Amino acid sequence: MSSVTENAPSAANSKATGQDFIAGLMPLLLQLRKLAWLLFTVTTLLFFLLRAAGDPALVLAGNDATPEQLAAIRAQYGLDRPLIIQYFSYMWNVLQFDFGKSLASSEPALEKVLDMLPRTLHLAGMAIGFTALIAIPLGSWLGFKPENPERRAVSGFLFIMQGVPGFVTALVLIQVFAVNLRLLPSLGYEVADPRTWILPTASLASFLFPSLTRVVAANVAEAMREDYIRTARANGATQSELLWGHAVPNALLGAAALIGTQFAFLLGGSAIIETIFSWPGMGWLLLESVQTLDFPVVQALAFMIAIMVFSVNACTDLVFRYLDPRLRTKGA
Amino acid sequence: MSTNPVVHVDNLALHFVSADSVVEALKGITLNIGPGEVVGIVGESGSGKSVTALNMLRLLPRGKTKIPHGAVSVLGRDVLAMGEKELQKVRGGEVSMIFQEPMTALNPVLRVREQMFDVILRHQKITPAAAEKLSIQLLQDMKIQDAERVFNAYPHELSGGMRQRVMIAMAFSCQPKLIVADEPTTALDVTVQAQILNLLKERAKATQTSVMLITHDLAVVAQLCDRVYVMYKGKIVEEGVTRDVIGDPQHIYTRALLNALPEGKTPKSRLETVAAAMIEGGDKVAATPITASAQAGFTQFGRAQPLFEAVNATVRYAKKYNFFGRPISYNTAVDHVNLSLYEGETLSIVGESGCGKTSFANSIVGLVPLAEGELRYKGKRLQDHDEITRREVQIVFQDPQSSLDPRWPIWRIMTEPLTVGKTPGRSELRETAEGLCQLVGLDPRSIDRLPHEFSGGQRQRIAIGRALSVHPRLLLLDEPTSALDVSVQAQILNLLLDLQEKYQLSYLFISHNVAVVRHISDRVAVMYMGKVVESGTAEQVLTNPTDAYTRTLMEAVPTLERAFAAA
Repeated sequence: MSSVTENAPSAANSKATGQDFIAGLMPLLLQLRKLAWLLFTVTTLLFFLLRAAGDPALVLAGNDATPEQLAAIRAQYGLDRPLIIQYFSYMWNVLQFDFGKSLASSEPALEKVLDMLPRTLHLAGMAIGFTALIAIPLGSWLGFKPENPERRAVSGFLFIMQGVPGFVTALVLIQVFAVNLRLLPSLGYEVADPRTWILPTASLASFLFPSLTRVVAANVAEAMREDYIRTARANGATQSELLWGHAVPNALLGAAALIGTQFAFLLGGSAIIETIFSWPGMGWLLLESVQTLDFPVVQALAFMIAIMVFSVNACTDLVFRYLDPRLRTKGA
Repeated sequence: MSTNPVVHVDNLALHFVSADSVVEALKGITLNIGPGEVVGIVGESGSGKSVTALNMLRLLPRGKTKIPHGAVSVLGRDVLAMGEKELQKVRGGEVSMIFQEPMTALNPVLRVREQMFDVILRHQKITPAAAEKLSIQLLQDMKIQDAERVFNAYPHELSGGMRQRVMIAMAFSCQPKLIVADEPTTALDVTVQAQILNLLKERAKATQTSVMLITHDLAVVAQLCDRVYVMYKGKIVEEGVTRDVIGDPQHIYTRALLNALPEGKTPKSRLETVAAAMIEGGDKVAATPITASAQAGFTQFGRAQPLFEAVNATVRYAKKYNFFGRPISYNTAVDHVNLSLYEGETLSIVGESGCGKTSFANSIVGLVPLAEGELRYKGKRLQDHDEITRREVQIVFQDPQSSLDPRWPIWRIMTEPLTVGKTPGRSELRETAEGLCQLVGLDPRSIDRLPHEFSGGQRQRIAIGRALSVHPRLLLLDEPTSALDVSVQAQILNLLLDLQEKYQLSYLFISHNVAVVRHISDRVAVMYMGKVVESGTAEQVLTNPTDAYTRTLMEAVPTLERAFAAA
């Protein structure tokens, strides 16, 4: 085993051939294959689930439609055909990124979703950045000496925070900063006005940062017990060198994985936070279109969310590969 | 001894304190190490030898230890009185350490370059360019051919022996006066161990560095150390020039420890155990007489049919996969192995890590599939998984810490094989477990206890009892004593010999420890890179090896005999 790994780098340095190039693309191809499966499954599942939930013609025609009107709508949308035919024609359209038109506004459903995408990415990105900014230093501080009394108190507080639903945090923040102190606006989104970003970001980050901080703290505490820390100590490293030079880089590997897996959870949270703060993003649109049974938009949203969650996980994988040299050489 | 010792430990006691208990780890030890001297501290786990080592640099957690009395001085300075700042200057500078586990002792996310710079730039005022030159020189001194590559490599890209060389290079990097080496070769293969020990000795002599070598292995001490301290339960029970201590031990414990070693004893004879010796306080140094089965076992392979046979057995592991997830290239772990084992016989497979011996054992019990060839038990194909055959072939694993479910009482653990495909009653199983306990030398009243309540040796007895529960004929023993202390190893070897005599069991014994293999085996097969390179009777193979690799292996094994011959 060891002799194999030792020879690996010299083999990798040999001349790059066409085969190497294909081998290099391999991870990407494998990822794309996974994505294709995922999208196929999500789309299929959603198609049949929505059909099971209700007759789209009834929704389209409204409550007091006559049987003739219903029949006309069925004919117009092709709903009178056998279900399996409808499924194949739907999937054919999806292959061309055509999800149909929104029932509410007659815009193409996907365009409507894509309009919202940047705002949601903006919010989610800020929330993740904010979370990392707090969780990494705080978690490192906590994990360095976990048995110390004030750090234990902070851990306890984080534990409670983890149990508080995000919308409660959002409402408390609104009450304090918007209503009582009148420092920040309580709703709306202005691209040019960062003041409107603060409360939504903080609220959404509160979904993620307690758990991430606790994971970082646990990982740092674990890393501090490793043999290589003892080696570094025996070599005369100071406390801060031990923590920042040795323990934290190792601990972040686990934390990076958590950000990836929690991203789906974060998008779920953004549905609530965007609604509370009237932040016109995908989460807000999701709630809106589910309420009005706007099927094409719901389907386009599910499709987009699947792609986003997948890409973030794939990216985390890459970050992992960058952070962890053990994975880096395995891929080569 | 020099008038200015590098290390002077005076009547040192050290206690581990927790909320509800005090453990006396050191009970007043005194030792000295002179300039350029290589001193061994030998003892079994729990003797306090590692605590002594770690305390030299105060690496034990301060809040959990108490030093009621005693002094530690290094180069004439009181270590116990130093603050953390001062200690940081000493650590890695004047005194450096080498740890046991080279796989975990280096930081996995940092290159060797960064880890060496870490030490060198902290303790020496030189430029990074000079530090790089120095590092590469140090690595070359460690007989590393491609020092540049190693310097830029991550730890996982290096083998265990290579990492330990890096550790030693780091330890020598700031011209220390003392190196504390805590079991530096225990985790390594014998051939690598031999190289590493030689390098350590050479460098220490060349640089006039004192070495404090912590080990459980008397043969390593004999080979390397000028003087030795023997520790037992937190005390130093004997000290002196290595040759005198090992050649003519004065204390009962030292004698018992030497007697527990299989080396130089009559094969298959009972080994004296340390516990027995300490209780009896006896002077019985001679090994007990040879058993009947030992004499019988040597020659009788003349029977028509072997109990177990491997014919061209081959195990492969997939290395690379294609787009559809199908393997496209393989590593061959076991390469067309042909072996046979007769009733009542012990066949040992010797080899270093990665030679395929464990893969072979796993293929016999069906844990990994065979890529090619056939395994036969009593003439029937073993791969067919017929139930009776499966029961008659059982396995005991290396590490009794992790091979027992920590949440199961031992009666459940020991009788688990009986519940495969059947549901015997609870009381029946408990009764069986009591019987098994007696068989393997455990108290039958302890069947409700959990594994962590037992010592390592007792846990290995539990694992053996579990294997015996289904009345096997063939027992695969995969390094059953490697994780155990010498004295406990002796007990387990005795137990295995007793059981073999009583039930005419056949053993397939897998080990890297040549002395143990010599002691327990009728026949031996040597494996190297997946192939059996030599096989024959234990005497033949281990004493007069014909294969080149076997010879290298035998020469690498540290033995007391050879150490004295060389001295």
